[in-house]
Amino acid sequence: MWPFSASPSSVWLVLYLLTFAIHVVLISYVLAGTGYALVQALRRKDDPIADRARDLLPFMLGLGITAGVAPLLFLQLLYQRQFYTANLLLGPRWGAVVPALIVGFYALYLAKATEAVRWRRTTLAIALVCFTFVAWSWSEIHLLMQDHPAWREMYAAGDRFYAQSGVLPRLLLWLGAMATLFATVASWWAAAPERRRLAVIAIGGRIVSAIAVGLLVAGDAAVISAAHGWLYLMFVAVAVEIVAWIWTALRPDGAGLALVTGAGTAALLAAVVVREAPRLAAIEAPRAAALEAAGFPVFAVTALLGVVLIAWIVRAIRS
Amino acid sequence: MDSSPVPYFPVNEFGPLMKGLVIGGVGILHVFLAQFAIGGGILLYYFERIGQRGTPDARTFVDSTFRVLVLVSFVVGALTGVAMWFTTIQVGARTIGLMVDEFHWLWATEWVWFAIEIVSGYAFYRFGPQLDDRTRRRLLLIYAAAAWMSLFWINGILAWQLTPGAWLDGGGMWSGFFNPSFWPSLLFRTAVATTLGALVACIVINTMDMPRERKAVLIRIAARFAAPMAVMPLLAGWFVAVIPADSRQWLMGGSMPMTMFVGVAAGASTLIGAYVVVGLIFKRLYINGATATLLLALAFGATAAGEFVREGARKPYTVRGVLYSTSITPGEVAALRKDGATTHDPYPLRDAARFPTPQLRRGAKTHRALCDACHTLHGANALVELTRTWADDQLRLNVAKLQRTKAFMPPFAGNAEDVEAIVQLLRWEAAGAPPRWPTSEDPATLAQITRWLDEVGTSPAGVP
Repeated sequence: MWPFSASPSSVWLVLYLLTFAIHVVLISYVLAGTGYALVQALRRKDDPIADRARDLLPFMLGLGITAGVAPLLFLQLLYQRQFYTANLLLGPRWGAVVPALIVGFYALYLAKATEAVRWRRTTLAIALVCFTFVAWSWSEIHLLMQDHPAWREMYAAGDRFYAQSGVLPRLLLWLGAMATLFATVASWWAAAPERRRLAVIAIGGRIVSAIAVGLLVAGDAAVISAAHGWLYLMFVAVAVEIVAWIWTALRPDGAGLALVTGAGTAALLAAVVVREAPRLAAIEAPRAAALEAAGFPVFAVTALLGVVLIAWIVRAIRS
Repeated sequence: MDSSPVPYFPVNEFGPLMKGLVIGGVGILHVFLAQFAIGGGILLYYFERIGQRGTPDARTFVDSTFRVLVLVSFVVGALTGVAMWFTTIQVGARTIGLMVDEFHWLWATEWVWFAIEIVSGYAFYRFGPQLDDRTRRRLLLIYAAAAWMSLFWINGILAWQLTPGAWLDGGGMWSGFFNPSFWPSLLFRTAVATTLGALVACIVINTMDMPRERKAVLIRIAARFAAPMAVMPLLAGWFVAVIPADSRQWLMGGSMPMTMFVGVAAGASTLIGAYVVVGLIFKRLYINGATATLLLALAFGATAAGEFVREGARKPYTVRGVLYSTSITPGEVAALRKDGATTHDPYPLRDAARFPTPQLRRGAKTHRALCDACHTLHGANALVELTRTWADDQLRLNVAKLQRTKAFMPPFAGNAEDVEAIVQLLRWEAAGAPPRWPTSEDPATLAQITRWLDEVGTSPAGVP
């Protein structure tokens, strides 16, 4: 099934896309959750969703960063030269994502610990700026990786910012999607009245993403033709998800949330394939060392063990 | 770009800092924190066990220390791991690329253990006080085991860089992973990890609100985890015995900076070991927070010196026998001797206008391609200063026969014109970068450089 085949690159691609999707769910909760908690802190509103988010944010960020290591590994197998070149072109500016994450991480811990509203606002605002910077940097490097003709000139000019017109719509698309994903995850812990508010956020996120997609398509229609049926699957899944959100808003105790989650998951998986489609042709031919690398059975067994252990941990703390 | 025999990447300079300092700074911090996380996990599991068997205050200590572990190690420790990847790309993209290609499934395995470590760690941090004894113990056991397994996998990959062993003869990935320095390195790092855990524990215990006598009991228990320091000289000796002979010679006096760092690491470790083993374990002395912090700082110094030695011992390679520190393979040197070091380099100079002649521009590009990984022109390990007193022909000879000038230098991967361009660049820089500079194109000089290049060949000087 397109774009997957029986090649080693396809195995890496599947693992890349799957682990990336997991990473996206977690960092979406972090970025959008930080934004939500900040807005509620600014409004001085007592809000269980914001309280829960503040409590969970450091934990979710820790998981999100950990989950992000896996796609970063497989990315280096698929697009090594491109990723490294873009890394080097952005240079120390790209490296700043790590200090930004560290600052954001500690800001979240402070936001969780403090009772002072002023401190809470300040720390959440700092964290939000840091995470938005990281999201923007990833949007930038993703596009720069594919823009081979720009590399030489960018290097010669010593530019550290890739100011291509697609960066902001792309970031906007992600921010919208992150709001929806945050709402989906947060809804599982939310009481019925809170789910209504989360449904509004989720649908708002989809509208923002739709506007961003419009801007992107206006700039590069090739995305549509390159994505085969995945684009249509994504549209259908999003449509079902929006209907399910409306259902959830009307009947928060109903089965709408399960449908939201199912359709949202399908939309996310289709979306990561659609996102990948324009650059699939740029996947590098597998290098000999990578082709000959042993150790897959060890990874597979360890991954299975990891799932079992993590499942046990979740069960243990829930009981 | 694609027809080049060598993949070229854009090169960043870090002002007066040589790249080794940049990656060293990030790497040392990461190694220190990661090893603390491993040792801390083992120590906390032990304390939980004895706490459940009745040792007073042990569980209070576990909950206090775990907060430190999460706040320091889970944040800065984890993120400096990501930073290591990004920094390694900045310093040697081809090296990290080769490591990922060769060991990606093991790296993915390491990631699974890291994920288990993080999940179990956060679970304990958040729910530990509410859990029953058996679940607490199991959770800490999973955390400690996962942290150590993470070390197990990454240690093999890092040790492979210096001692690829039978992998070089086609022995396959597993022979590269379980390479000659795998076990001494793993055991040494484990001993370091438990020692760091013990020292941090001594600091944390001093911050706990309880009488000194009760703190002393906990300190004596924690100090046991620094006891493996007693076998560190043996492990270090084992490590030194299995590394390549030329690397060993540099550590044992062949390269004084390396020997001095060996001395710093050994001296600092001896001081810590003596204090802990003699003072804390045998004499049962009390250690206050300030002294424990001082010992931890010494341990940081020892870690830094040890990592410097480990990195330095690989010269002139980043992967022994496979990839030079210039990110050029031994097989590619011959091709570059013919084509020139920068003929296929697609990236222009960022400061081309600064150089008054094409030869100096070529020199600058050659420096960027062949020297910049370990040298700067005027900052750390500055080429201009290293060569200032050499005569012109001495400089030409030393550059052309680079691997004989210093055994930890790779063979010069360019042609005679590149050598002369570098020579002129260094002279021009040493003269204060004047606006005019004559071009050196004497055929006799170039012919002499070619003879020297041919004489020395393209093989490294050390043991392959």
